[in-house]
Amino acid sequence: MSLAILDGGTFYHHAAIHGRRYRELFDKTIYAPELTTDALAGVTFLIVPDRINPNVLRANRDVLIRFAKAGHTLVVFGENRADTWLPGVTWTARPTNFWWWLDKNVRPPNRLLAPDHELFQAVPFESTVWHFHGVLTPPAGARALIDVPADPEGRDSGGALLYEDRVTLPGRLLVSTLDPFYHHGSNFMPAATKLLDGFLPWARRKTVPQTDPGR
Amino acid sequence: MKPGLALSFGYDDGSLRALADIKGEPEILLRDIYSLPDIDLNEFSVLFVSMHGDQRFLAARAGQIEEYLVRGGIVVANGHHAYPYLPRMAGFHTIDNYRLSDITVLRLAEHPIWHGIDPHDLTFRRGVSGFYGRVWHDAPPDALVVHALGRPNLPLDFIYPVGRGHVLFHGGNDLWTFGGEDKQLAPRIMQWVTEGRNVQ
Repeated sequence: MSLAILDGGTFYHHAAIHGRRYRELFDKTIYAPELTTDALAGVTFLIVPDRINPNVLRANRDVLIRFAKAGHTLVVFGENRADTWLPGVTWTARPTNFWWWLDKNVRPPNRLLAPDHELFQAVPFESTVWHFHGVLTPPAGARALIDVPADPEGRDSGGALLYEDRVTLPGRLLVSTLDPFYHHGSNFMPAATKLLDGFLPWARRKTVPQTDPGR
Repeated sequence: MKPGLALSFGYDDGSLRALADIKGEPEILLRDIYSLPDIDLNEFSVLFVSMHGDQRFLAARAGQIEEYLVRGGIVVANGHHAYPYLPRMAGFHTIDNYRLSDITVLRLAEHPIWHGIDPHDLTFRRGVSGFYGRVWHDAPPDALVVHALGRPNLPLDFIYPVGRGHVLFHGGNDLWTFGGEDKQLAPRIMQWVTEGRNVQ
């Protein structure tokens, strides 16, 4: 039972994964181009951070799917083009509005759909709210946890920013459009750090089931 | 004139695409970063490294990059230098709990790439500071430091020689995303590269 994370080799992956704040949480760090089934031996929870080169992920598609098929948990963050390598993922790009928060009268469109989900006991919904780079259409049987309504300019009909899929593969998939590793590792957005402050210790706890019977 | 080369990273990035779409000579080609071992860099006038590049991989190719520089190549590198992929560079220094005065862009030297661009417009984007840079690097002693961060002794943008070539280092978000609509930095970088070649 262990927690592993892929490392994309960028400066922000380095800062987030190898930096003092979180490094003790990971049992194993796997440099993405060196991902193999053997490297995942003993791993039950794998995090694919945002902005890992999708060419690498596509090349290792079988390894990642085999991992999820074994009943494990696979968490995939944004800007990874998961729609090109992970079953069930449908992603629609939406031009990013980086500036939504400058107008104090504008409320972000993000909606928490599953306040009862255990993740939100660890991660305050507010810590998941920042700009986003597209929307996901969860496959049948999956559960959207956070979504946004249709694009006001009509470019998409809305969709999930985070969903949980326990049906497409035997394991559990958590798929998100958010890119917290980039923003935390760039030392540039406090919400991203708060999200990881909650999410990563939660992921850690999920690999120690005797202290967390809630799964 | 040899084309420029920008290393891509697998997902679509609007600003990188815009860089490659710049009209004029020389053209800029995009190639996936992991194809670098198969590329003869001497066929390119300039190598663009995005902040999204896999520096761990680049560090394993440091010899290829240095050889290209020594022979007269130009590397335009962005982001925080976390792995030793560039010759003569050390690591970066973060500024904990930075305030505006810590990340204000200071111009120390004039340079054609930034000519006519107010440092204030680099410090702020729509009133928000931090896009241009949030950390500082140790510059080599013979570097031309164009911009510093907050204090004059904390380099942000600098140019330094390696053999017959040069590194233009920017320790923040990709340079080609800055400069405003009428003063885009990317065409100016290409002009600088072109003129550098003419001088030689």
